[in-house]
Amino acid sequence: MSPSELGPVTCLGCGCGCDDLRVRVADGRITDLSPPCPVARAWFGDGRVPGAVRVNGRDASVQDALREAATVLAGAVGRALVVLAPDISVQAQGTALALADRLRAAVDSATSDAAAAGLLAAQRRGRAAATLGELRNRADAVLFWAVDPGPRYPRYQSRYAPDPVGTHVPEGRSGRTVISVSVGADRGPGSADVELVLAPDQEIPALSVMRAVALGNPLGELPAPLDAAAAIAGRLMKARYVAVVHEAEPGQQQARDRYRAEGLLGLANALNGPTRAALSSLRAGGNRNGAEAALTWQTGYPMAVSFEGGTPAYAPDRRALTGAEAMSAILVVGAAATVASALESAAAKVPVIVVGPRASEASLPARVAIDTGVAGIHEGGTAYRMDDVPLPLSPPLAEAGARSAAETIAALLEEVLARPERGTG
Amino acid sequence: MSAPTRLRITGGAVHDPANGVDGDVRDICIEDGRIVAEVPAGSPTLDARGMVIMPGGVDIHAHFASSSCNHARRLIPDEHAADPAPAPSLVEGLARSGTGGTVPSTFTTGYRYAGLGYTTAFDAAVAPLTARHSHSELDDTPCVDGGIFVLMGNDEYLLRQIAAGERDRARDYAAWLLRATGGYAIKIVNPGGVEAWKTGQRNVATIDDQVDGRPVTPRAILETITAAGNALRLPHPVHIHCNNLGVAGNAATTLASMEALAGRRAHFTHLQFHCYGGGGGQPWSSAAPKLIEYVNAHPEVSVDVGQVMFGPAMTITADAPVEYLLHKSSGRRWTNIDIELETGCGIVPLTYKDKAAVSALQWAIGLELFLLSQDPWRVVLSTDHPNGGSFLSYPALIQLLMDRSVRDEQLKRVNPKLLAGSALADGLAREYTLNEIAIITRAGPARLLGLRAKGHLGAGADADVTIYSREPDLARMFSTPRYVIKHGELIVEEGQLRRAPAGRRLRVAPGYDDAVLPDLRRHFERYSTVAFEHYPVRDLPGEPLAVG
Repeated sequence: MSPSELGPVTCLGCGCGCDDLRVRVADGRITDLSPPCPVARAWFGDGRVPGAVRVNGRDASVQDALREAATVLAGAVGRALVVLAPDISVQAQGTALALADRLRAAVDSATSDAAAAGLLAAQRRGRAAATLGELRNRADAVLFWAVDPGPRYPRYQSRYAPDPVGTHVPEGRSGRTVISVSVGADRGPGSADVELVLAPDQEIPALSVMRAVALGNPLGELPAPLDAAAAIAGRLMKARYVAVVHEAEPGQQQARDRYRAEGLLGLANALNGPTRAALSSLRAGGNRNGAEAALTWQTGYPMAVSFEGGTPAYAPDRRALTGAEAMSAILVVGAAATVASALESAAAKVPVIVVGPRASEASLPARVAIDTGVAGIHEGGTAYRMDDVPLPLSPPLAEAGARSAAETIAALLEEVLARPERGTG
Repeated sequence: MSAPTRLRITGGAVHDPANGVDGDVRDICIEDGRIVAEVPAGSPTLDARGMVIMPGGVDIHAHFASSSCNHARRLIPDEHAADPAPAPSLVEGLARSGTGGTVPSTFTTGYRYAGLGYTTAFDAAVAPLTARHSHSELDDTPCVDGGIFVLMGNDEYLLRQIAAGERDRARDYAAWLLRATGGYAIKIVNPGGVEAWKTGQRNVATIDDQVDGRPVTPRAILETITAAGNALRLPHPVHIHCNNLGVAGNAATTLASMEALAGRRAHFTHLQFHCYGGGGGQPWSSAAPKLIEYVNAHPEVSVDVGQVMFGPAMTITADAPVEYLLHKSSGRRWTNIDIELETGCGIVPLTYKDKAAVSALQWAIGLELFLLSQDPWRVVLSTDHPNGGSFLSYPALIQLLMDRSVRDEQLKRVNPKLLAGSALADGLAREYTLNEIAIITRAGPARLLGLRAKGHLGAGADADVTIYSREPDLARMFSTPRYVIKHGELIVEEGQLRRAPAGRRLRVAPGYDDAVLPDLRRHFERYSTVAFEHYPVRDLPGEPLAVG
C-alpha cells in the first residue's frame, strides 16, 4: 500500500484539541505527522493497538467476553463502579453512563483531583472564561500563572496565545504583553515581557492583592513581592482583554495551594470590572472534558456521580475510585492505564472488566479485557477540547480494523439489558 | 395497548383551532403516526369521553439543549440534589434517571415535556461552534421533536460582510451556517451588543450605535439578517432578542427595532423582557400597552411573551453583558463564556419574588401582553425557559390567563410599588378560552415555525395529541394530561409516562451560492481554531425540512 497523507486530523494527546494535523499513513501504520508536536507523536504512536479479547486471561470470542462481563455486572447492581477512562468518544461515554444508570453504579472519571478542585470552585463562584479562539483573537495581555504550557501543551502558545495573529491582535505576539508568574517550582514561561517569582506561601496573598486592585479596593503600601503583584494587576486592568492561563491538572513537583483555583477565578472575575478577562484552564487530553460534559447533560453533575439510590447523586468529596474495594464489580471503559494505579488494590479483590484501547495490556488483573481502537485514531465520534468546544474526530486509521469502543460498549449494554433487572443489593 | 399503528380517539371535545374546530365532540383517527380522516372499523379505540383533546404542545422558545445549558447545569448541584428524577416506569426501552431543578438533565427534560403534553420544542440560542454539542443533547432528549436556533447577531464574518455592504454574501453565509449547524432558524441576540461586550465597549445603547468602531450598527445587523432569512424563505422568520434586555426604558429600543423592520416578517422573542418604561431617573413602568398595540397593528410581526413566574429561575443567554449587570446587581454567581468569532454566553441563577417590585412588574407586564393581544396566533406562550421560570410553570400560567379570579388573587399578594396605573392593576377582565390556549401553545407557534404537520389535528398532521381530563383546577388539568400520543404512539397513559421514543430532528438546509466558500475558508484559516472541514455537523438524524 502506498503511503498517503490524511488530514486535517484531530489530536487528543492533550486538551488543546489541535484539529489541523496532517498524518502520513503507510501499511496501516502512522509513519509521520505534522506539525511535529512531541505530545501528538507520543499519543498517535504508529497507531498500532492490540486486538485481543480475554476472559480470565485466556483468549475468548467477543460474544463470550461480553456475556461474561454482563454476568458479572448484572450481579453487581447497586455495587458496581463504572470508570470513564480517556481515549473514547463522548458517544461511548454516554453509552457507558446508560449502563451505569441501569446498574445503579457509581461513576468516576479521569478528572484529576486538581481539576476537580477547579470545577468545585467554579460551582461555588461561577467563572469568567472563553473558548480558546477568543484568546487568540482578542487577548492583548496573557498572564501565565505558575505554568509554562510548553512541555505538556506544546502548541497552546502557537495556536491560541500569545503567538498568533487575531482579529483584534493583528500584530500577533508583538501586540500582546506576556506576563509570567512562577510559584515555587511551578515556573511560568521564560520569554515573558514581565516576570514575577513568588514563594508558595506568597501565592494566595498575591492573588488577593491583585483581585483587590482589580476591584478598586484601596491598599496601603505593600511589601515585595506583593507590590509587584499589584503593579501587574494594574497593567492587566489597562489591557483590552486579559487571558489568565493556569494548569488545572496535577503539578509534577508539588501539591499546589488548594485555594489557587479559587483565587484565579476571583481574579478573572474581578478583572471584568475594569476590562474584559477570561480564565483558561489547561486540561489533559483523551476527551476528559467530554466525560464531564456527558455526565453533566445526563445527570446534572460533571463528575463523581452515583446512581446507587436510583437517581444521580453527587459526591465530589468521596471519589469512587478511591473506594473501589467496596464494590462488587468494576467496569473501566477507555484507556485503563490512566486509572490502573488508583484501582490496583481494589482489582485484587473485585472483578474488573476493561473495554478500551490496550485493555489486554493494562496492569489490572482483568476478569474480562476487550481491546478496542482509540477514539481519534481508529474511530470517530466527538471529543471535547479543554475549553469544552466539541470537535469531530477524523480517524486516520479508521480502516485498520480495530474494534470500535463505542460499538463494544453498546453491545455490552444490550447484553446487560437482555438480562432480567434486579433490585439493588 | 402497545404502539398501535391505528387508533381512533372517540368522544373527546376537540380543540383544533387551525382547522376551525372549537370543542366539537368528534373522533380523531391515527394511522402510522399521522392523523387520517378515517380508520377501518375494528381499529383500536381510546375512549376520551368528557376529555379535552388538543394537538401536542409546541415550545417556540426555550433553553434546554445547548452548551450554555450544560454550563448552567454545572452551576447548580444544589438544585439537582433537591430534585432527583427517578427513571420512569416504561413498558419498553431503557428508562433513565436524572435530575431536575431549573435546568434538568436531558432525559428528564424530555420526560417532563412529554408529561406536560408538549411534543415539540426548540432550543432558542445555540452558538454555531457548539451546535454539535446541542445535537448530542437532543439525541438524549426523548419524546420531543427538537431543533435549534443558530446565533448570528454578533458573528464576526457577518459583521464584516455588513460593514462591507456585502448583503448577498451575508445571505449565503447565513444559509451555509444553518446547513453546517443543522439549525432550524436564525437567531439574533442583542445585535452588536455581545461583540461590544467583548471589545470593552461593553454594550450598545441604541440601534444606531456603532459596534466596536466599525461601520456596523444594530440596525444594519437587524436589517441585513432579517432580509437574508426572508430571502432564504426559511420556515420561521428571524427570531430576535432585541438590544437592552432587562433595562428600564428599553421599550423605546424595542419599538425602534420593530419599526426598523416594518413590513418584513420577524419574530420578537420574550417581549416581556423588552417592555419597560421609565429609566433616566424615572421609575420602572409597564410599556406593554404601547408595544402590544404595535404588534396588534402589524400582522408581519409575531412575538412570544417570556412570562416571569415567581420562584427560582436560571438566566441563560447569549446576551452576556446583561448577565454581568445582573451579577453585579444581584451578587449571585456568574458564569461567562466568550465564544470565538460568534457570540457569548452569560449565566446567573435568580429567584423572582412576588414581594420584589421589579419582579412583580415583570410578572404583570407579561400578563398584560397576553391579555391585551388581539391576535393570539401571533402572541405565543413562553417563559423563555428557564429565564422567566421553568417550562413546568406553563400550566400555572395558563390558569392565570383563563381564570381572572386566580389572577386577581395573586395580584393582591404582589408588591404593588411599580404597578400603579398599569393595565393589569386597573383590571383586565379577559379570560382565555380553551381554544385560545390551544392557539398560543400549539397552533400559533406551529404556524409561526412553518411546521405544517404540527399544531393541528387535520388529515396529514403528525399524530402528536394531548388529551386532558377536565378539572376545575386548570393548573392541575394542564400539568397532568391523561394521555399523550407522539407520532401515533401512546407515550403517556393515565397520566404516567410509559414510552419514550427518540424525538425527530427539525432542521433546514437552504441553498447558497458556493462562491462564498473560498472567502469563508480564508476567514477560518486566519481566525478560527477549528478546521473549516471540521466545522459542519454531519450525520444528523432524519432529513431537513423543505425550504421555500
